[in-house]
Amino acid sequence: MTDSMLSGSFAPVLPEIFLLAAACVLLIADLFVKSERRTASYVLAQLILLGCALLTALVSTYSLRRPVYAFGGLFVGDQMANLLKLMAYLATAMALAYSREYLLDRKLLKGEFLALLLFALLGIMVLVSANSFITLYLGLELLSLCLYALVALNRDSAASTEAAMKYFVLGALASGLLLYGMSMIYGATGTLTISEVAQHVAKLSGNAAQRPFLVFGLVFLMAGIAFKLGLVPFHMWIPDVYQGAPTAVTLVIGSAPKLAAFAMAMRLLVNGLLELAVDWQQMLVILAVLSMALGNLAAIAQVNLKRMLAYSTIAHMGFMLLGLLSGVVGGNWRNAADAYAAAMYYTIVYVLMALGAFGVLLLLSRAGFECETLEDMKGLNRRSPWYAFVMLVLMFSLAGIPPTAGFYAKLAVLSAAVSAGQVWLAVLAVILALVGAFYYLRVVKLMYFDEPADTTPIAGSGEMRLVLSANGLALLVLGIVPQPLMALCFAAIKAL
Amino acid sequence: MIVETAVFYLFAAVMLIAGLRVITARNPVHAALFLVLAFFTASAIWLLLEAEFLAIALVLVYVGAVMVLFLFVVMMLDINLERLREGFWRNLPLALVVGAIMAAEIVAVIAERYFEVASQAPPLPAGYSNTRALGMLLYTDYAYAFEIAAVILLVAIVAAIALTLRRRKDTKYQSPAQQVRVRPAERVRLVSMPAEKDR
Amino acid sequence: MIAMKTLYLLVPLAPLAGALAAGLFGRAIGRRGAHTVTILGVLIAFLASCAILVDVLHGNSFNGAVYTWATSGETRFEIGFLIDRLSALMIVVVSFVSLMVHVYTIGYMADDPGYQRFFSYIALFTFSMLMLVMANNFLQLFFGWEAVGLVSYLLIGFWYTRPSATYANLKAFIVNRVGDFGFLLGIALVLAHFGTLDYAGVFSQAPGQAGATLELLPGSHWLLLTVICLCLFVGAMGKSAQFPLHVWLPDSMEGPTPISALIHAATMVTAGIFMVARMSPLYELSQTALSVVMVVGAITALFMALIAVTQFDIKRVIAYSTLSQLGYMTVALGASAYAAGIFHLMTHAFFKAVLFLGAGSVIIALHHEQDMRRMGGLRKYMPVTYATVLVGALANAGLPPFAGFFSKDAILEAVHASQLPGAGFAYLALLAAVFVGGVYTFRLVFYAFHGETRVDPHVLEHLRESPWVVTLPLVLLAIPSLASGWWLGKVVFGNYFGSSIEVLPVHAGIAELAAEYHGLWSFMLHGLAGLPFWLALAGAALAWYLYTVRTDLPKRIAVAFGPLYALVEGKYGFDELYSWLFAGGARVLGKGLWRGGDQTVIDGVVVNGSARVVGWVASVVRLFQSGLIYQYAVSMLVGVVLLTYWFLRS
Repeated sequence: MTDSMLSGSFAPVLPEIFLLAAACVLLIADLFVKSERRTASYVLAQLILLGCALLTALVSTYSLRRPVYAFGGLFVGDQMANLLKLMAYLATAMALAYSREYLLDRKLLKGEFLALLLFALLGIMVLVSANSFITLYLGLELLSLCLYALVALNRDSAASTEAAMKYFVLGALASGLLLYGMSMIYGATGTLTISEVAQHVAKLSGNAAQRPFLVFGLVFLMAGIAFKLGLVPFHMWIPDVYQGAPTAVTLVIGSAPKLAAFAMAMRLLVNGLLELAVDWQQMLVILAVLSMALGNLAAIAQVNLKRMLAYSTIAHMGFMLLGLLSGVVGGNWRNAADAYAAAMYYTIVYVLMALGAFGVLLLLSRAGFECETLEDMKGLNRRSPWYAFVMLVLMFSLAGIPPTAGFYAKLAVLSAAVSAGQVWLAVLAVILALVGAFYYLRVVKLMYFDEPADTTPIAGSGEMRLVLSANGLALLVLGIVPQPLMALCFAAIKAL
Repeated sequence: MIVETAVFYLFAAVMLIAGLRVITARNPVHAALFLVLAFFTASAIWLLLEAEFLAIALVLVYVGAVMVLFLFVVMMLDINLERLREGFWRNLPLALVVGAIMAAEIVAVIAERYFEVASQAPPLPAGYSNTRALGMLLYTDYAYAFEIAAVILLVAIVAAIALTLRRRKDTKYQSPAQQVRVRPAERVRLVSMPAEKDR
Repeated sequence: MIAMKTLYLLVPLAPLAGALAAGLFGRAIGRRGAHTVTILGVLIAFLASCAILVDVLHGNSFNGAVYTWATSGETRFEIGFLIDRLSALMIVVVSFVSLMVHVYTIGYMADDPGYQRFFSYIALFTFSMLMLVMANNFLQLFFGWEAVGLVSYLLIGFWYTRPSATYANLKAFIVNRVGDFGFLLGIALVLAHFGTLDYAGVFSQAPGQAGATLELLPGSHWLLLTVICLCLFVGAMGKSAQFPLHVWLPDSMEGPTPISALIHAATMVTAGIFMVARMSPLYELSQTALSVVMVVGAITALFMALIAVTQFDIKRVIAYSTLSQLGYMTVALGASAYAAGIFHLMTHAFFKAVLFLGAGSVIIALHHEQDMRRMGGLRKYMPVTYATVLVGALANAGLPPFAGFFSKDAILEAVHASQLPGAGFAYLALLAAVFVGGVYTFRLVFYAFHGETRVDPHVLEHLRESPWVVTLPLVLLAIPSLASGWWLGKVVFGNYFGSSIEVLPVHAGIAELAAEYHGLWSFMLHGLAGLPFWLALAGAALAWYLYTVRTDLPKRIAVAFGPLYALVEGKYGFDELYSWLFAGGARVLGKGLWRGGDQTVIDGVVVNGSARVVGWVASVVRLFQSGLIYQYAVSMLVGVVLLTYWFLRS
């Protein structure tokens, strides 16, 4: 342990402490809010997010050059954690802005929703900054528990309740698998601290008797990670939960938690078990191929947009793996920073795209009407050319068409895979992405070339329209000027 | 030594059978009671390992509180478990196959090294307190994790309330505060009216 | 340094900002707003360019990345600037002419409903052209190259309701695609063999690759650099309208006149010339390529000049004259006289812009009449236009002391001195072209401005000089048309370009000429005694005789040389040949592909086949996605079991 690891300073954990306290305050303060619109609570929640962002920015100055540890090494604050946290705040704030009207229309915007959202964010933060199996697991559970509750929040809907039940049971199973894997690794290395695990694994991995044992634990860890990322064959919950949950909650599930899942993969695989890269990269290859194939092909057959986006998530996370799995080539780590930075960029961009896509669905929904089938997109251009354009950008970005951010993300990940010599995998990925382009472009076709079935004017609050427009434009800008974000990702990975 | 081993195997066997019955018993009350049995035997095994605090905590928390609550729920709700279990029997063959393969794989990996009897653990120093050691760990090294666990419980409470609390619109209730604060002016209104004339 | 970097960025970005403002918010800011922002943007670019030129003249230069777009393995895709004497001169010329054209457009397009769109386009064009010129790598060069092509396409088809305009812009685009194909191939070869797209990296490696060969067909070895240079030159042929890819330029006159001046005379079409000069370190290493360049240029210079004599549309005459002048520049490049080529590029940009804008001034004054047979005697009505056009014509014909004389004479001398195969032919062709140039230039002047007026009397009543926004740019451009030639000693013989252009000692014709150069006066006196001057004068005199004295003669000559005249007037039949060969061929090919490729492969296998695959996958997925938790859990556990098996098998 280094000196900084032993130091008992709470400073690096300030954002988490603040968020916890503030969420509790919100929970109580909401009791005194009389108005049905809950404007005060909503504003408070947004302010809390802003406060977190400021604190994280402040704290990140500590960890610019090297990671800082707190609580005896349970917590690590490094560049990656800070960047992902900031992105998670952004995603949460956007999700709040998008879902507000929708929830109000359905009488779901209660203090509990806001509190659960903030606690879920806290779970993400704990997970992202975890340097121990224990904190990682606890963060994961905190996040998951909030999400289960959010899915079931619309308790009068049978579909929501059923989705929550499935999510809960399967999530528990996945947690069990993950814990089993952790216990295996603990058994082999005798430590729970991830950075120490790495040192032990480096010593043990050459040992022929020990290695299968480690790999066996790794398989179970991988199952836990794959469940969280939604990779085939651990993906079964995704379509049902995405479709069953209220769209606002689907938006939450589909955005910031992806960052947490990425962080989880990075912490466990890269921080902890980099020595076993040969093994887990092969596992990722299998998962990536299955996910891209099944995700893209199954999405084509969907009529329900939420379900289509669910399969699209599966495909995208499979694509993102191309970056994660090409870090180490034959024991050489030269490619690693590029590849992981590409995967990180991909994840961040994906989160922005998912936010935007579900945001449009929320915009088009109104009291008593759910926009969730392909039919509902018909003739959007007639109803609102600007939002049709925003959706066009989103779909292009999801399909990976230049000059959108989705294209650059795919390019970066593919180039990482090619530099790692995974040429056939890259070719396969491109073919499957082309297949995927079909269902994204079908949405575009419906928007621009079909007659609208429903001509109700588009409502939506001012801030929602503003944020949604900014979201669409951001994807365009990030596609043309990708370097600043990429540089941030690269710096974050370099500092690991 | 021999006695301890024998006791261990006895408890372990009881625990496994109880665990199996939890999922196979047709009557939900029986299933819950078998679970209680499993907890008891587990705590007994912990006692064998000289983990007294954990053993007692297990009995107090799970048997004393959680399971009793669970039994209440099971008895109060008329759950038709048979219907829920249709899938169980139908999928049992597949589950057995998958489970068997998994078990075989686990054995294949772990067997050679970990089924050997480990060397005896060193005896504990005199005056060693299990509870104290646990407390030291929990509140110093693992304070962070402990706090997060507490937050998880908080979330569980919030979620449980959010999902189950229903405020019925037709419920009538008194508000003592309002009753106390009431003033005469709000109850009695003096109206001056012109007196009616005799006709 | 930071300040200079900002200045560099300002040059392309100011017009871009103007273009975006006028294009996206054109309706909001109105006509006045649109022309104000774009002119302001270009003015800023021009002033910044001048500052950069001054800085460069003090011996500074810059080569570096401003922004890295993507990194793929070892290759970096960057936006970078190379600011040296060559690019500094170019950006000044481009931004100056563009500024003049912007001002001129206020008058020319005053009544057009697409006013804002037009300003947005030309500002966008200025941005693209500046990016092209300032590039320090092939990728950015290609970006600028395609971007100017795109804007040119948009502007030729600006009046998109006219069928002839849409035909012309399609033609320009497609012919340019042919050139771009070669260009892209050249860039790909560069990347493949040099491993970098940066100019500096490529040029430093070039001498090492001088002996490398490439087996194009089994058994035929080509010098790598020759192949690269020829491929790149195909691109230049497309963009700079060299024979036989010249066919699009005359048709591009369907666009509004300001863009004919800006894009199809002064700037875009010279991109090919600029590119070859920029690539001089590569071209110098390939004699074959230089010879090809010279011969192609010579053919263009002569034969396009001949066509100009037969045309009656005033803009087409100037268009063919442009082709011919571009031919001169190309010949200069082939003769390794890059400095002379760029010098002619500069002078030509000024005097051709004057000619085009003058023609435009006439065209609007006559209510969009372009046929010279319905002009004549305009000298009295439009004195300013006449005077400036006359300056442009004198420069174009290459008469001293106008700019064209110096640049053209330098080229002729350089070709004369060249030892490359084909130089003799090129020299003779250029001499002939000088004579023909005198004829067609003064034919235009005499036809349109002298003699009896043939203008429609109704139009004649209202005929008057154009407004100041039109005449001011004419005058401002006429000044350098006269005077810019006087920098000959500095630019061509004074080793102005320094290291930005590379000439091998073997090809140092210019250097030998420089040794004989003793100042402007002696050069001019020497020129007065030379053959080209007398040829140009003879051409002018012939034009005077034919078009003012014996106006009946031209017709009789045309009849006498019937078939030959028809051949030249029919532009040697290239249009017909291309439409038969390529359009017809494409139709046959398309039909075949439609039957074989579309109906059988695409519809049969790809579309229906993939639909079947999707249907199958969906049914399988549906089977597993049953909604039952048990099955989901089993699927996860099966996943774990399989992964475990996969890794424990070994």
